[in-house]
Amino acid sequence: MISNQAKKQIDVWVAKYPIGRQSSAVMEALKIVQAENENRLSADIIQAVADYLDMPSIAAQEVATFYENYNHKSVGKHTIRICHNISCMLNGADDLVKYLEKKLGVKTGKVTKNGLVNVKKVECLGACVGAPMFQIGEQYYENLTKQKIDEIVDNLK
Amino acid sequence: MADIEIEIDGNLVSAKAGEMLIAVTDREGISVPRFCYHKKLSVAANCRMCLVDVEGAPKPQPACSTPINEGMKVHTNNEKVKASQKAVMEFLLINHPLDCPICDQGGECELQDVAMDYGSDVSRFSEGKRVVVDGDIGPLIQTDMTRCIHCTRCVRFGAEIGGIMEMGGTGRGEDLKIEPFLAEGIQSELSGNMIDVCPVGALTSKPFRYELRTWQMNSVSNIARHDLTGSNIVTQTYKGRVKRIVAKDNDSVNETWISDRDRFSYEGLAHENRLLSPQIKVKGEWREVSWDEALEFAMRGLTDKVLNTGEANKLGALASNTATLEEFHLLQKLLREVGSENIDYRLNIKDLENTVTLESNIKLAGLEGVDHVLIIGSNPRLEQPMINHRLRKASLSGASIDVINVMAFDFNYQLNSENIVTPNQIAFMLAEVLKLILQASNAEIPEALSKIEASDTAKQLADRLLDADNSVIILGEHMVNNPQASSIAQLINEIAQQTNSTTLNISATANSMAGDLTEFVPGKKGLDANAMLATGLKAYILLDVYPHFDFHHPAQAIKALSKKDAFVISMNSFKDEAVAQYSDVMLPIASFYETSGSHINIEGKVQSFCASVSAPSDVKPAWKVLKVLADLLQLPGFHFANSMQVTSEISNQGHKQNVSNKKLDIKVKRSVNVIWQKSPYAVDALSRHASALQATKIGQMHSASMNKATAKKLEVAENDNYLGVPVSIRESVANNCVFVNTNKPIRGEL
Repeated sequence: MISNQAKKQIDVWVAKYPIGRQSSAVMEALKIVQAENENRLSADIIQAVADYLDMPSIAAQEVATFYENYNHKSVGKHTIRICHNISCMLNGADDLVKYLEKKLGVKTGKVTKNGLVNVKKVECLGACVGAPMFQIGEQYYENLTKQKIDEIVDNLK
Repeated sequence: MADIEIEIDGNLVSAKAGEMLIAVTDREGISVPRFCYHKKLSVAANCRMCLVDVEGAPKPQPACSTPINEGMKVHTNNEKVKASQKAVMEFLLINHPLDCPICDQGGECELQDVAMDYGSDVSRFSEGKRVVVDGDIGPLIQTDMTRCIHCTRCVRFGAEIGGIMEMGGTGRGEDLKIEPFLAEGIQSELSGNMIDVCPVGALTSKPFRYELRTWQMNSVSNIARHDLTGSNIVTQTYKGRVKRIVAKDNDSVNETWISDRDRFSYEGLAHENRLLSPQIKVKGEWREVSWDEALEFAMRGLTDKVLNTGEANKLGALASNTATLEEFHLLQKLLREVGSENIDYRLNIKDLENTVTLESNIKLAGLEGVDHVLIIGSNPRLEQPMINHRLRKASLSGASIDVINVMAFDFNYQLNSENIVTPNQIAFMLAEVLKLILQASNAEIPEALSKIEASDTAKQLADRLLDADNSVIILGEHMVNNPQASSIAQLINEIAQQTNSTTLNISATANSMAGDLTEFVPGKKGLDANAMLATGLKAYILLDVYPHFDFHHPAQAIKALSKKDAFVISMNSFKDEAVAQYSDVMLPIASFYETSGSHINIEGKVQSFCASVSAPSDVKPAWKVLKVLADLLQLPGFHFANSMQVTSEISNQGHKQNVSNKKLDIKVKRSVNVIWQKSPYAVDALSRHASALQATKIGQMHSASMNKATAKKLEVAENDNYLGVPVSIRESVANNCVFVNTNKPIRGEL
């Protein structure tokens, strides 16, 4: 369930914590394993991570369901993670979400028919200075306008 | 820690520095409302209900997580406190449904009580309430998670007491849900305690669902007799039926927990398979008769067969280990009065010349204070859940635990070493350990041990015993039929003496301690259970014996008891085909909670109990039946008006188990050894008839485990039948060993 390569990556994180505290690496482990499973987690995967880190499966499940950067449903090739917390909201994030939904033809949480994009509303990403903003992959896009969104989204492949 | 003084509501109270405020108020009887705090669990401080006003602190402080300080001034009841408690209550009730009228917890609900005291009478919340979809988490616990207030007591119970974190909080904020991992359900042997700790109706007893309101029931204290702990319980009864069982606090016995077996076995009482009326066999046909007629028939049978013919020594008595102290006493007294010493309760032992005799000389509470444990031949978690709980506590406070077992079991604490040893090698391994220990103290090495070369494993085991200041050696039930059983016990005894260790003998369970104390074992001229069945007696009195489960060789026992000229009086609480086959009289006797009596637990504590309910229809308590039978036989000394008079006749001198002085046998043999065990929820007739228990994963345990090599030797494959039990091949079993764990009648020889 977990590839050897992923195990190696997880071990790097395990080594950062004291011996016997390997479960502290659960967040990174889930992230690593999610990346190689079409960006989503399933019960089996969570179980496998818990077993690998020798922790109760429910404890891994708690972490996996607490943070929104873990996906439990299918996602598109790109996930647009749009912030809807206070700064972005005051700067019109809600309108942008509606705009994105209309433009892509899918509600937040759903994937476009071509499997390319999905939109996810997330909590503050710490870029209030550039509100409203969203994140695609590792990249932040700030001071968004409808025009800017058209440019960014149309260029997604 | 030093005593300090603090002021609560204007009164000076002395307490230990560092104690949490709520512990002090609880001790002083000052009421502080709470949901998440539980005296036996860690402090979570997440419900905020226990807010109190501490002078000098700007905001109200949670009493459960505020340690006390010298000179602290606390108010538990001023305006500030009342306002904050009311506010917290309002928040807690936002999402809690107003379904008290259909909630099982209604009437015993902490939330309901506190809401009455601290809540507002009108809700200001007009938004939609949260609804949680329930999953099935097993046959014992019913969930209604919409009612959950997220106190996390059940989560902490699993992680801290049960030893496996089963419940957890998934999601967050508004979407937080308390649930187990997916559909795995709850599997702990202590899971029922989550029902007790849940302050609301989110977790309730499934078998009890929609049965009754708590105020309709009578609560009667009683003692659970399934294991060696004798957990204190409260039976809740309604119209002569036990409806529910909850734990009763007793720190020296079961603290505040009970096992699922103790909690849910009561269901068996109402099983349709109960034996309800006295019956006699006339010309091969069973006839229901009155008690007078049945007892008369029994008495005639005994006098005709053995007493009038001067063959009292052809009469035998066998009892199961669930009998009460009084029942054991009366039956052995009856036998000894008429001149027979053929008495035994050890029905599952193959070789009664070769038994484990070992004293238990440590208290239950003492177990959690040891710094080293050596367990030999036991899976304490399922066999003795409350003893295992103490061991877990010891482990958590730093005790090292070594295990010598015939197969790997699922321990809920860290083991220092788990040694999987072939049954035939365990005596040898202990001999190695003993030799090393003797060498360490420069003592003389006995002849029998002189040639032994100690292995590394033995060295490590010996070293840890020598290093420990306060160690205990535990002998478990897997060793009772070991070909070298008595040598194993002797070696353990010797090792314990040499290392100043205490010993705990958990090899015989239920009320076996009472069997020993009342000398329900053959006297000098008497025959033991095996000898009785081998020679074939003319008359037997059997007390709650179910041959397919109780005898080590059921077929042979049934054959012996079925002999034409044998007159068999069976006293049973449940019907059983085999019993009906060999008996001449069947007398229905009261089961657990229907009779008064006493249980003796592992530390020798005699715990007496009254009947919680009277037995159904024509069923009588066994002690009464034995007393009347003795009267009919005109025996002196049976003038008892109640079971307490019987108890007082039994002198509790504490039975000392004399360690056998048989010659030590440590030769390693190569034969395959079968260890047979009833599965944890099949140990006695009552639990076997408790349907919810039987439906659990533990209740379903039914397998003959062995490794590949042994399977090859026995010519069986996975899922084949071995002794009528499906084979499960796993490498965690020692070589040359079959570990049978079954909830079904055993067929064939073990």
